[in-house]
Amino acid sequence: MIWKQTIGAASAGAMVASGIMAGAMVLTVATASAAPPIRFGVQAPITGPYADEGQGIEKAVRLLVEQQNAKGGLLGRQIEVTVCDDEGKPSQAAICARQLVNAKVVAVIGSYTSGAALAAEPIYAAANVLQTSDGTSNKLSEQGFKTWFGNAAPNSAEAEFTANYLVKVRGFKRIAVLTDHSSFATGLADEVVKNIDAVHGTVADKAFVNADSQNFTPVLTQLKSLNPDVLYYSGYFSDGGLVRAQMQQLGMDAVFVGGDANQNVAFAKIAGAAALGSVIVNVPAPQDLPYPAAKQFVADYKTKYGALPPSVFTLTNADGLRAILQAIESTKGTEPAALEDFLHHVKDFQGLTGTFAWNEHGERTGSPFVAFEVQADGGYKILYPEPAK
Amino acid sequence: MDCRVKLGNDANEAIQFDRESLSFFDKKHPTLAGKVMGTFIQQVFNGLTVGGIYALIALGYTMVYGVMRLINFAHGDLCILGAFIGLTLLTGAAGSGHSGAVLLLCAFVLAVVVIAIAGVVLELVAYRPLRKADRLSAVVSALGASLLIENSIMLIWGPDVHVFPADLLPAITWTVAGANITFVQVMIILASVVLMTALYFFIHHTRFGTAIRATAIDQETAKLMGIKVNQVILTVFVIGPALGAIGGLFVGIYYREAYFTMGWTYGLYAFIAAILGGIGSIPGAMVGGVLLGLFNAFAAGYISSSWQDAITFALLIAILLVRPTGLMGEPDAGKV
Repeated sequence: MIWKQTIGAASAGAMVASGIMAGAMVLTVATASAAPPIRFGVQAPITGPYADEGQGIEKAVRLLVEQQNAKGGLLGRQIEVTVCDDEGKPSQAAICARQLVNAKVVAVIGSYTSGAALAAEPIYAAANVLQTSDGTSNKLSEQGFKTWFGNAAPNSAEAEFTANYLVKVRGFKRIAVLTDHSSFATGLADEVVKNIDAVHGTVADKAFVNADSQNFTPVLTQLKSLNPDVLYYSGYFSDGGLVRAQMQQLGMDAVFVGGDANQNVAFAKIAGAAALGSVIVNVPAPQDLPYPAAKQFVADYKTKYGALPPSVFTLTNADGLRAILQAIESTKGTEPAALEDFLHHVKDFQGLTGTFAWNEHGERTGSPFVAFEVQADGGYKILYPEPAK
Repeated sequence: MDCRVKLGNDANEAIQFDRESLSFFDKKHPTLAGKVMGTFIQQVFNGLTVGGIYALIALGYTMVYGVMRLINFAHGDLCILGAFIGLTLLTGAAGSGHSGAVLLLCAFVLAVVVIAIAGVVLELVAYRPLRKADRLSAVVSALGASLLIENSIMLIWGPDVHVFPADLLPAITWTVAGANITFVQVMIILASVVLMTALYFFIHHTRFGTAIRATAIDQETAKLMGIKVNQVILTVFVIGPALGAIGGLFVGIYYREAYFTMGWTYGLYAFIAAILGGIGSIPGAMVGGVLLGLFNAFAAGYISSSWQDAITFALLIAILLVRPTGLMGEPDAGKV
């Protein structure tokens, strides 16, 4: 399903079902204002397994654009948004990219998945259209395209933050690393081990659990015999909560630190009383972001759509758009080369998800990660970095 | 040996306190031998607890196979259905003022009754019409029943992880030579032993047990001897799922969680335990379950946690190469 919608136009009329009309039809509905509008594209999985996230990106973009237009638009021109549903599929993403390029957009927000962003990337680069996506695959920045601006921190950022937190901030001397066999968790665990070595920490052991097997006491017993002062678990919450509970069952008094996949309300439920004091490293949930601008955005989003943003990636994509809006205002134009230059050199951009910048490869520098502690009421308290006042 | 009751947030302090003063090993400077011993004892109990659960579930596979030569692939899902039924009662009755022990007893009774009925329905609907058909048809029917139950659990309870209420049982932990053994573990191990012993006596020392064994040896001849084969098979479909429901509920109480795909995981492990012990042999299922639990614990604890399952199953293959009918299976048809 592909459609284009213009802010201010009757939305139902502008919706075009795909199928027969797909490639050829992109409607443009003229707005009332005299100056030609500035066009932004959204490439996101509006349908399919990531529909929730894709719709979040679209909603965030529409919210920010509506607010900007209400303030008189950008450089005195109204902003129009064209949305293309890539279904999270690379094949559909390439079609979307051509459609959005043909629609003469200045920049594209999205897509949600690295695969879809990667398929569209060369098409935007060839057409000199800026692309900002939460895709975190290293391939996205390795292509060397000037038009690429990743708005989520790369995969390596979490491991770097974690190692620094464990070794430097908390001063743990013997770190046990535990992972399941998924490529996500083993990748994260390997990176954490590498980063711990880099900051001269000591990994007592790296061990594995079989996800969903529930029977983690054998490996935890073995780890307990090594006397670690902290256990880092890189897998998912359903197993993480059980790992935490079984640590307590075995009388293992090491601190539990979990990777981002442990952040789920079920973690504390499964871990029970043992959840208290567990530490989880992740980008904070949208409503937990400590920055005033983020709180305002989340409140506006909730007022407009009646629900919270689906994930923090809604906000990182919003940050991508906010940075491009600022670039257009600062450079007083939509010349791609000037915008790219501005974005590559912007210092300390005050994002909704923390302060960040972009390096020459378009990778986000400045991680939004925080370490938070599970509280008695199941809530989270940010331990590090200290929340900005 | 010392005994203590963990109380909420003070649990960690309690552990600390014990370690320094009460245990007969000096926890601050444990000798190497003491630590090795503590770890070993811990692994034995880790293995025995899950082994007991595997054994209880494996009994259902082996009994059905014994009398019908059919692998009841829906058995694992029935067991987890038992866990969900128990869970529903426990969460529903939470805050009703009854003690945890009373609630648990009710949960076990309800789960056993419902799953026994479900087992009978399964036999009547999915297996009896195929009694004279090719064995493959019955196996396909079993797989279909497995998917039906699994998806029904998902549709009724939802795909999320469900958490059992805490504080059902006293949170007592015994520390033996540095190994922590919980009340729940001891309860599971003891209950498994009692149930399995009772079943053994039922099969070998009652007239009905004799009828089951006779049916297992030869259905046609058993019929000629005046044994009501259909009634025997129905009994097997009451006892197997009932024991499985207890095993499933033990899983839920021990790990305090249940989700709809769990039946497959536990069904697979229990099936392997039944094969290891010798499918069709009741003592075999008991031994197979316990051994599988211990293998897994020792493989993870002493060899490699990443190769845990590979090592366990390599050992299993090695045993089956030496004894193709399993540890206690007999080469001829006389089983159960």
